[in-house]
Amino acid sequence: MTFLAFLARRLAGTIPVLIGISLAAFLLVHLAPGDPARLLMGDRASEEAVAALRDQMGLNNDLATQYLNYMGHLLRADLGQSLRFQRPVLTLIGQFLPATLFLIGYVMVISVPLTVILAVTAARNRDRWPDQFIRLGAIIGMTFPVFWLALMMSRYFGVELGWLPVSGFGEGFTGHLRHLFLPAISISAWLVPLLLRSLRATLIHEMEADYVVAGRSKGLPEGLNFRRHVLMNSLIPTLNLLGVMLAYLIGGAVVVEVVYAVPGIGTLMINAVLGRDFQVIQGVTVVYALLTVLITLCVDLLSALIDPRIKP
Amino acid sequence: MTTSDVTTQATKARVSTALAAFLSRNGSFEVLAGLLILTALLVLAFAAAHVVPADPSAIDFEALMAPPSVAHPFGTDHLGRDVFSRTVFALRIDLWMGVAGVAAPLVIGTALGLVAGYFGGWADAILSRIVDVTVAFPFFVLVIAIVGIMGPGLTNYFIALALVGWVSYARLVRAQTAVLRDKDYVQAARVLGYSTPVILFRHVMPATLPVVLVYATTDIVMIVLAGASLGFLGLGVQPPTPEWGAMIAEGQPYVVNAWWICLFPGLAAIVMGFGFVLLSDGLSRMIRQ
Amino acid sequence: MRRNTVAMITAVTAMLTVAPAWAENLIRIGSPYQTTTLDPIRSSAAGNIETFGQLYSRLLRRDADGKMQPGLAEEWTISDDGLELVFTLRDAKFSNGTPIIADDVAFSLTRAIKDEKSAYSATLAAIDSVTAVDSHTVRVTLKHKFAPILENLEVFNAGIVSKADVQARGEQAFVDKPVTSGPYEVREWRPNDRLILEPNPHYWREGYPKNDGAEFIEISNANTRVSMMMSGELEAMREVPWSQLAEMQSRDNVTVALEPSTMIYMTLLNERRPPFDNVKVRQAAAYALNVPAIAKAMTEGHAQPANTTLPSALNYHDKDFPGLPYDPALAQTLLKEGGYDGKELTVLIAPTTDSDKLATLLQAQWSAIGLKTKIEKVDRSVWWERVPAGDYDLAPSWWYNETSDPDLAVRWALCGSCGTYSFQTYYENAEVDQLTEQAVRELDPAKRAALYAQIQRISTDEVAQIPLYYPPYANAYARDLRGLTLSPSLQWSLEEAVLSR
Repeated sequence: MTFLAFLARRLAGTIPVLIGISLAAFLLVHLAPGDPARLLMGDRASEEAVAALRDQMGLNNDLATQYLNYMGHLLRADLGQSLRFQRPVLTLIGQFLPATLFLIGYVMVISVPLTVILAVTAARNRDRWPDQFIRLGAIIGMTFPVFWLALMMSRYFGVELGWLPVSGFGEGFTGHLRHLFLPAISISAWLVPLLLRSLRATLIHEMEADYVVAGRSKGLPEGLNFRRHVLMNSLIPTLNLLGVMLAYLIGGAVVVEVVYAVPGIGTLMINAVLGRDFQVIQGVTVVYALLTVLITLCVDLLSALIDPRIKP
Repeated sequence: MTTSDVTTQATKARVSTALAAFLSRNGSFEVLAGLLILTALLVLAFAAAHVVPADPSAIDFEALMAPPSVAHPFGTDHLGRDVFSRTVFALRIDLWMGVAGVAAPLVIGTALGLVAGYFGGWADAILSRIVDVTVAFPFFVLVIAIVGIMGPGLTNYFIALALVGWVSYARLVRAQTAVLRDKDYVQAARVLGYSTPVILFRHVMPATLPVVLVYATTDIVMIVLAGASLGFLGLGVQPPTPEWGAMIAEGQPYVVNAWWICLFPGLAAIVMGFGFVLLSDGLSRMIRQ
Repeated sequence: MRRNTVAMITAVTAMLTVAPAWAENLIRIGSPYQTTTLDPIRSSAAGNIETFGQLYSRLLRRDADGKMQPGLAEEWTISDDGLELVFTLRDAKFSNGTPIIADDVAFSLTRAIKDEKSAYSATLAAIDSVTAVDSHTVRVTLKHKFAPILENLEVFNAGIVSKADVQARGEQAFVDKPVTSGPYEVREWRPNDRLILEPNPHYWREGYPKNDGAEFIEISNANTRVSMMMSGELEAMREVPWSQLAEMQSRDNVTVALEPSTMIYMTLLNERRPPFDNVKVRQAAAYALNVPAIAKAMTEGHAQPANTTLPSALNYHDKDFPGLPYDPALAQTLLKEGGYDGKELTVLIAPTTDSDKLATLLQAQWSAIGLKTKIEKVDRSVWWERVPAGDYDLAPSWWYNETSDPDLAVRWALCGSCGTYSFQTYYENAEVDQLTEQAVRELDPAKRAALYAQIQRISTDEVAQIPLYYPPYANAYARDLRGLTLSPSLQWSLEEAVLSR
């Protein structure tokens, strides 16, 4: 199969997924109990005022009409209007997305090299003390509640030692690096163990593969053998793993954004949930889904480029 | 030497050989350690009422946020309740939350995966599309969205888990079933005229179970942790239910001056998670051999 | 190689830990409450109220002691029958430089009273009409005598907006940079994140505001707010958690102020159905509670236990009334006499600060006298549907009053014939209803005090609601910030605040 054919098939495959996403996101909001108009107007607003607003927001139309309207708007890249802020949801998301993207990139830059180093160390020292040590650390890291860790780090490194800011996004590139350092570390502390365990298993699996054993028996130096055969063949599984882990990363980032008051779409989503701003919850969920689809697509394409079975 | 002695000895010998065989396998140490931790927790959960010094919901105005002492080994919380008693009682909820939270996705996912993998074709195509759509939503984001929209509470959390969590099981089972259906013994069963449900549930499903169970043990940890995060965000269980996530969330405002309210339920969650992860690690190593 | 690594690590560390110099001195205020609209009539929610006051001046202004001072109106006269008020406007300008004239005032007030989107027109309900006599004279006529009219004209929703701008831009006038009449105008509003204000160059008060502007930052998590305040990332913060108050006070760079509020924590009882339609069961539920202990446990001793159904910061609050004491034995007797059948009752709460804690405390004390309850936590909007629908038994919550005059509070919480069904409890006492109307028409303060005292006695004895405690606002301020306070009706003295850096 050529790469182009692969690309075409892969792109075509995303279309039903996109339709499914829109349907799921639409139905999501219609599970909601409670009256959004009431919340918008405050506790002591009069019944008449609330009723008038419901009407204006189109909350009285039937479901099919509302879905068709929704689809039509989506196709025009219109995610609707925030009920609470009378602004396009897309504008709101555009305002919050950079911080989240930066944070995700930051976490990747920290956690991918760290994971590779630790996994390689563990795999090469299999069942000896560095391996046991790393595995134990990974298990403990996995079971730590993220928000708890984040809270503790913010108090210690931010407040007690005063080394780093505990909130916000900062100004300029170095500002972002400074302000998102603690959040990025908090997520990595939880993400690395997850990645590490899988990568270690893959590496060990590869090390037992016939050609590696053959290489070893031919007297290829162990280090060279490892780099040439084990690492190269572990690349694709690792890439795929990364795609899956990004979904976890994005989820974990929501909690950490709240703890560090990062103006990202996770914070936006939680505020929208608390304020019952349905259009925003819906919009953010769709954007998260699109982000995941996009990342998965990139990972697949990268794998295809590396994979010798698919010609470029 | 009587016959019964001989049988006993033979049994003993068989047990010890089995044990030796088990112990010699890779991963047996983890499995044992994991089981030990989990059994201890299970016993503690069942015996909770006899173990704890105080009623987990008893409020004491005179002892608000008392630090750990002999009377209160884990201290008291912001309402003067004994943190030790609450942590132990929470075991019941959290073990149940983990197991019940895994049960629905496991059953749904396994069933769908079996059908898709065995029949292939349309069934497989449709399932794959649904899987693709569901995995497009990051797990925790979708759980927040569902719980956030339907309202806080354990029931809604389980519903959210069932809606989202089945995907991983379906994928695992589908992949395996697709391989298994061409195996000799399955084809033999088909030739012998067994009905499809019998083949699926008696011959194919048991073979997929080990991998599913290994995944489920790690999944439990994720579910309890995600539950704790929801509690932190104010979307968790109803008060005054003792549950680790909710306890950590309740203790969160006091984390500076009464650290024990958060710390002990947190440690408990780590111990339980540790047990499950060890078990899952060991099992997967044993399977791989 | 090694040396390079060390140098690189040092450089990165330096970059990460050295804060950049701050160009401007904005006062950063961290609050859990959100800005959801900039239109003064569209919301009565905390967060919005706080910023409305900074953006829109009213005819009158409340000074630091709570006294009424001239605002956009330089002076005013009240007719002898108390039904007609005439305001003379000063020469003031909107933030876009156009003059503020009587027509704008008439437009703004009429909008607050009549517009169907007006969230809280009750404050001005006694007004019959507002007319512009000439460019600098406004006449307000009342339907009946109304003692708190001047106070109510100072409330946030009576803020003056530009008629020309609102008519030209419609809703958009309050989304992008509204034309303002107050001390500040909007530099940037990032919904869900922050509102940045800068001084209004045309503000009528000479020499104000005394600072470069302010940033209202929304931070829902209390621990995050505290971390930010303690590490100097905020100059002021709302809602210091009680448990961290002492810790914050001990920092060199922070002071904590407990400022009087018109808040009251209380429990609603559903008086439409058994068992709480029976006054004896209501009294049992009240006598069962050790109110001082609850107040202490909830706020670490920072709140005053409530003695009447009205907030203590209101005028005419009856300080001498003893309230209902803690008497579990009496409660048990009353419960029996009231015919409570042992049914499990629903305690309905919304996920707000401390609601879990309060509900848990109440549940324990009620169960001690044999009143069985289960706690149900629902979404806030569901709470606001189920309470008016009467689908609950007990609902611990809180409310506060926008003015220090008690009229609105009584109409909201205790009057059965005022359209609010006594905060949806359906408590109804004809005498209280009659006293409510009588008191608002009474212009002599001493006589009003007596009438409101009577209302409080009746409604507390009959347990219209169970009053619990009066919490102050716990705000933290940076030590290098002077002159910033929060009034009981949630208005910041922001224009007076000075940042000494």
